[in-house]
Amino acid sequence: MSDTKSFSAQDVLKKLRDSKQIHLTTTGPRDTGQSDYKNRHTFSDLIRLAPLYEDAGYFSVEMHGGARFHQNLLSNMLDPFEEAAAWKSTLNNTLTQTLVRSTNVWGYRSYPENVIRESVRAFTPTIDVWRCFDFLNYVPNMRPLAEEVLKEGKIFEPAISFTQSDECTNEYYLKVAREMVALCGGEKHTIICIKDMAGVGSPERTASLVDAILQEFPELIIHLHRHSTDGLGLPAMIAAAKAGAKIFDVTDDAFVRFYGQAPVRPFVALLKENGFDVNIKEKSLDDASNLVHEFIHHYEPFESQYRGPSYDVVYHRMPGGAFPSSFEQAEKGGFLHLMPWILKGMSFGNRIIRYFDVTPGSQITWTTWAGIIQRRFQEGGEEKVVQLLDFLEAFIANGQDLNALDEEARKELVRLYETASDDLRKLLLGEYGPLPFGWPENWVYRSAFGAEKWQEAIQQRDEGAPPPIEVDIESERKNLAKELNRPPTNNELVLYLQHPTGALKFFQFRKKYGNTSVLPTYAWLYGLDHKHDRVQFDSNGKPHEIRLVSIGKETEDGLVWVVLSVDNVLIEFPVETPKAQADGSVSVQFADPSKPEEVGSPMSGNIWRMGSPKRSIQEGDIVEKDEELTNIEVMKTENAVRAPFAGQIERIHIKLDDAVVEGQILFEITPLSKKAAKGNVPPLFSHIENSEEE
Amino acid sequence: MPELYKKIFIANRGEIACRAIRTCQELNIQTVAAYSDCDRLSLHVRMADEAVCLGASPGNQSYLNIPKVIAAAKSKGCDAVYPGYGFLAENASFARACEEAGLDFIGPSAEVIEKMGDKEETRRTLKEYGIPIVPGIEDIEDIKEVIAFGNEVGWPILIKAAAGGGGKGMKLVYRPEEATEAFRGAQSIAKKSFGDGRVYVEKFIANGRHIEYQFVADGFGNVVHLGERECSIQRSHQKLVEEAPSSLLTQEKRDEVGQRVVNAIKKIGYITAGTMEFLFDQEGNYYALEVNTRIQVEHTVTELITGYDLIKTMITTRAGFPLNFTQEDVVFNGHAIQCRINAEDPKKNFTPSAGPILYLKNPEGHFIRMDSGIYQGWTIPVYYDSMLCKLCAYGKDRTTAITRIKRALEELKINGVQTTQHMHIKIMDNEAFVSGNYDTTFIPTYIEELTDYDESEVEILKIARLLAESTALGKNQHCF
Repeated sequence: MSDTKSFSAQDVLKKLRDSKQIHLTTTGPRDTGQSDYKNRHTFSDLIRLAPLYEDAGYFSVEMHGGARFHQNLLSNMLDPFEEAAAWKSTLNNTLTQTLVRSTNVWGYRSYPENVIRESVRAFTPTIDVWRCFDFLNYVPNMRPLAEEVLKEGKIFEPAISFTQSDECTNEYYLKVAREMVALCGGEKHTIICIKDMAGVGSPERTASLVDAILQEFPELIIHLHRHSTDGLGLPAMIAAAKAGAKIFDVTDDAFVRFYGQAPVRPFVALLKENGFDVNIKEKSLDDASNLVHEFIHHYEPFESQYRGPSYDVVYHRMPGGAFPSSFEQAEKGGFLHLMPWILKGMSFGNRIIRYFDVTPGSQITWTTWAGIIQRRFQEGGEEKVVQLLDFLEAFIANGQDLNALDEEARKELVRLYETASDDLRKLLLGEYGPLPFGWPENWVYRSAFGAEKWQEAIQQRDEGAPPPIEVDIESERKNLAKELNRPPTNNELVLYLQHPTGALKFFQFRKKYGNTSVLPTYAWLYGLDHKHDRVQFDSNGKPHEIRLVSIGKETEDGLVWVVLSVDNVLIEFPVETPKAQADGSVSVQFADPSKPEEVGSPMSGNIWRMGSPKRSIQEGDIVEKDEELTNIEVMKTENAVRAPFAGQIERIHIKLDDAVVEGQILFEITPLSKKAAKGNVPPLFSHIENSEEE
Repeated sequence: MPELYKKIFIANRGEIACRAIRTCQELNIQTVAAYSDCDRLSLHVRMADEAVCLGASPGNQSYLNIPKVIAAAKSKGCDAVYPGYGFLAENASFARACEEAGLDFIGPSAEVIEKMGDKEETRRTLKEYGIPIVPGIEDIEDIKEVIAFGNEVGWPILIKAAAGGGGKGMKLVYRPEEATEAFRGAQSIAKKSFGDGRVYVEKFIANGRHIEYQFVADGFGNVVHLGERECSIQRSHQKLVEEAPSSLLTQEKRDEVGQRVVNAIKKIGYITAGTMEFLFDQEGNYYALEVNTRIQVEHTVTELITGYDLIKTMITTRAGFPLNFTQEDVVFNGHAIQCRINAEDPKKNFTPSAGPILYLKNPEGHFIRMDSGIYQGWTIPVYYDSMLCKLCAYGKDRTTAITRIKRALEELKINGVQTTQHMHIKIMDNEAFVSGNYDTTFIPTYIEELTDYDESEVEILKIARLLAESTALGKNQHCF
């Protein structure tokens, strides 16, 4: 596309409609072979691709959203706002694109409506195309997002969650598409995406759906997102192109890792051979792929345990993003060997409770089935697992007639969902919205809610739209301010509203380590070593160089001294090894700040007096509130530590002349009355008085 | 014709030792640094020509140990001792021991130190020589006297150690019921800190301004005052910011008080340099508090606006030279401000913060003066004062000086310990401070605002910290 600086959604859509060409979207920067490498690709590598994408003539770059958003906070330590702004400022004629999960936006739970609106508003300055899917294809869930995006003049692209199964007919999808078109104000006002996130639609099936939609909405632009897990990505895409789809998701050849998008160069070649004109400059595609080859080896440690196309995806339907990360979890959890059975279980499960396996549905499916199979394995090993799967197979084959099963099989099935997660129960209660193909049979409720409560659960079930909820954003702002010790920025609040724990972790990291997105990948992943002993980078255009001078041997107390030359200034850094962290907890016991009974040291110093000038203290003594218990000397100042409440000294952890560290436990005091203990927990320093003697 | 010293023993540490060594270098005088175990690698030891270890780190086994200091100075063939401030600087026994050992103590005579070191005695003397003093009572025998005094002048009253100084041993008493305990407490602290349990009681001057006069005197009866310093920015009687001149005084008032100071000091028989501290109330009344018979931490701002090297003046006058300037020669030019950078965390009630200085970048450039006792890589010991360095800025007027010191405060980068640096920036931004209309209640009044800052750290150092951690541990713990 051209000149998106003077961005007008209507112009962009009109140009697309009038265009006779095929257009491409690269999902590389979001996916980064999402399917593998677990979204660990660094900003410093990816942003180098931006000018090449621009030059290539991509319609859009999906560089934001999905799992990358959360992963940025958890392990890439990147600010999604800064990342989006950097892409936006580099791309002039190519649109920036995000992927949002309907009411889950970029998270894993349904957000209140005001949070959704706030989040969208915060990102509309840097995101042009908002691709939005809902795992129930429940279009009303998309409304707040659509309204905010359209209000800001950006493109809202609803995505039909697609899979291939008996109930997923063209008529079903058309019903969804009609709602989507209506939501956006007509077929000329939107692009509709067919999101085959698992990569299961056969070429014929895919083409048939494209055709059906275009029959009804000839002016509509169709964008196909199709993973290649089944190995049939390219044939399905070319079939869709022939049926009239206009935009296709691809990725750089060098990024292709089987579960992600199809490679761009073969697709372009295939399109051309079939007589299509493609709006793309192939030379730039080659340059981009070559660039990827330069850096992709850095990410080998994050590569999936399980590689290669996997045709059985058409049964278990696990989406490209979740597939490899489930293998990672299985390996960490020590049940990698159960994976084939888990996948098989899923292929039955998706007939019993019917929704689309994409976030958050795919997470619900994964936790449900990983749990079921692990439990059966613990109960009776392989035999028990195989037995359950056999029962399930028979149950599906007989048309899900519970009564047609024998007693044992029936018993096993009825306890299938007995340890259902809260999310699965919420799903069954309709809290995510109505299920696309109706509610599951009653026995599922009985299994998930128990013999006593299942009927109640069915009665409580929301049959229509879940009621909109709102949170008190101002009180969340205050909570965050407390955590940060300063008022948060609006962007920080948006991150916190989405992922409270991840955002806090990120803010703490940022405070301690700064903006590390400037680091080249090797240095980011491993620091420096004798082979890679220096790193050069720019920060705000200012060049920097950090050089490794020496790495010390680990000291007895678990410290490694690393000497770095930072912009030619030698600096020593003491680094605590896991040994220091472990030793520390053994030799020094810390007071639990949440327990007022444990009096901790307010600072590091020396105990120069036990008790007060009035009296010494012993275990068992009764002390008054605010009575001085000990006095710590630090740099000539005397610092009284006082009793937080009236009580009896249960235990004294220190003696005269001890050196103590901040937080170290000094005393344990039992309150004289239970009431005193439950009273206000004093802030850390309220019972400390810096003596006025100095 | 008197002769200048050949070699001076610097009986101190930290920035004041470095300050004295620099003047000695300008005077071509050799210097010997004293140090304790933990100060082996301290800056003042690096700077001196020679050094002697005094022993273990605790003060009473090193810097406060008179026999050790004397023996060390003698062993190196010194002919004088420079005491600085703190430690033995106002210890008459030390001054006497120096003289007995044939070492010139660079300060007034032991008799004067003794007299001025005793607050009760000082009050009597100053009163006699025509200096107004804070109403108070001395030689207290019965607590009833204290209560009666409080009832007469109004509560609260201030209890002070007769042998104290620098705010140490002071206690504010708000109610008659508290008097007994406070009085005994003050006595016990005085005894512990100064070996002298006598205390005296003064009227408490509310919203006072702490203003002090610098004077210099030679052995020929010449006394010159170098104007005042405003020291009202204090916390628990510890000064944090000092400036000269004070925005409270007119030139007329300055001359009037200065003349009185000069007259009184002439009568005392003082040589070298000293300071008379005053409390000015809101009505313009002023009361002398004490005479400090040593160089002050904040002498720097006086040097900046008068152009005289006070330490040089101390050395030359003690060596027997006359002052080479008169009161008429003294001209006050522009404005100077000093911020004390202490290793304390203002956010945690000024908890001291010891540890290694991992990174240090001192401010530089026009009209900036940095008197520092630290360097990058050095570890701040827990045994002594928490003051790390003093940052001064000079400007032709107060506004310029404030702008400059703020710039310098932002340029200063210290990593590894918490300091008062960021709080000083907030002080320089404070409207009351900028207006010049503030008093000794400033810090407690604005403490919340003054501690509402974000510790800014050099971005590249943060990034380097991550690299150091990943380097030591083999991989980035946050990413894997």
